[in-house]
Amino acid sequence: MSHSHKPGESGADLPHAAPTVEEITDFEVLEIAVRELAIEHGLFTAEDHRRFTEWTESIGPAAGSRLVAKAWTDPAFKARVLDDAVKACKEIGIDWAEPTGFGTPSDYMNLRVLEDTPTLHHVIVCTLCSCYPRPLLGMSPEWYRTTNYRRRLVRWPRQVLAEFGLIIPPEVEVRVEDSNQKCRFMVMPMRPEGTDSWTEEQLAEIVTRDCMIGVALPRPGRTADVHPVHKARHPVQE
Amino acid sequence: MSARRDLLEQQALIGSIQPAVHVPQNWNYEVEAPLFKAYAHPPHDVGGQFDAPILYEEKEEEQWEANVYVTCEVLGWRGVWNSEERRRRADNDLGYALYLGIPYYGRWIMAAARMLVDKNHIALTELIEKIAEVKARNAKK
Ligand SMILES: [Fe+2]
Repeated sequence: MSHSHKPGESGADLPHAAPTVEEITDFEVLEIAVRELAIEHGLFTAEDHRRFTEWTESIGPAAGSRLVAKAWTDPAFKARVLDDAVKACKEIGIDWAEPTGFGTPSDYMNLRVLEDTPTLHHVIVCTLCSCYPRPLLGMSPEWYRTTNYRRRLVRWPRQVLAEFGLIIPPEVEVRVEDSNQKCRFMVMPMRPEGTDSWTEEQLAEIVTRDCMIGVALPRPGRTADVHPVHKARHPVQE
Repeated sequence: MSARRDLLEQQALIGSIQPAVHVPQNWNYEVEAPLFKAYAHPPHDVGGQFDAPILYEEKEEEQWEANVYVTCEVLGWRGVWNSEERRRRADNDLGYALYLGIPYYGRWIMAAARMLVDKNHIALTELIEKIAEVKARNAKK
């Protein structure tokens, strides 16, 4: 494998042989080898792999946005969400038992939605790995998985949030919820002012993924999370 | 380039990725309790550690990364391993150099390969031969 480093990292100065252009990296080789061996040995089938891939491609933060928008407009639904979020998810078409019948093997069917108030702001992290409510938010963003975010958020939450452009006033408590492998969390931010006449669809547009992690707040006109993107060498084929 | 030069460069690279330590370490005869606790601390338990601000970025997923996620999950689906052994042991308890150095899904697939060998689902030689075969197959393209 070539020694690729992110720009500016000290590793770029390491001694190395003349750069060789390789078509396929060691991790790509290992991925193919493990998948093919597992299938050849009957540990799972190619069909299992295909079905799980299909499910993975079907999830994303739009489900979470729908959940929050519906809760904002329907107090009874909101109460059900806060009481039993996994059950309430079925009302917006999200079944945590998918795609295996018992959920994904790494996401237990256990979710708690954290409601923000005028005096309380929530933000989520997994300090031990990268636990994340996949059925509602899709795959976690890279920054959420970094040791940097995991190290610092629990100790310096206001500073880290400020780096995301979110300044929480001192009178508002910041509560960091550290996921563990048995329970998933998601933030339900407060409905912003100036959205009184909005439809659920309009509201859902401003409930972005970052708002449900807790590193941003929804507001009219803010419909996307903007971060620098590291491009893939061999991106996922559509 | 000579074989000796290759070897020296490889050894320099290995040395460069060893974790920085600030106490002598050479199989100490005795280890005081606080140091023992520090050695026993799992590398992935990072909450509260110091770090400098970085640019928080998104990452476009590589095809192999998407495949690794699914392979590891499907191995769980079919009962080959469970969430606890994956998270707390296989993917995380790797020592500092590996845990901090290799890509997120690189850890996952190395863990899966090691687990399949450890549980005797595949033989180590079989894995090595398969890797060579996959490399050869893709080199021809
Ligand atoms: Fe986790």
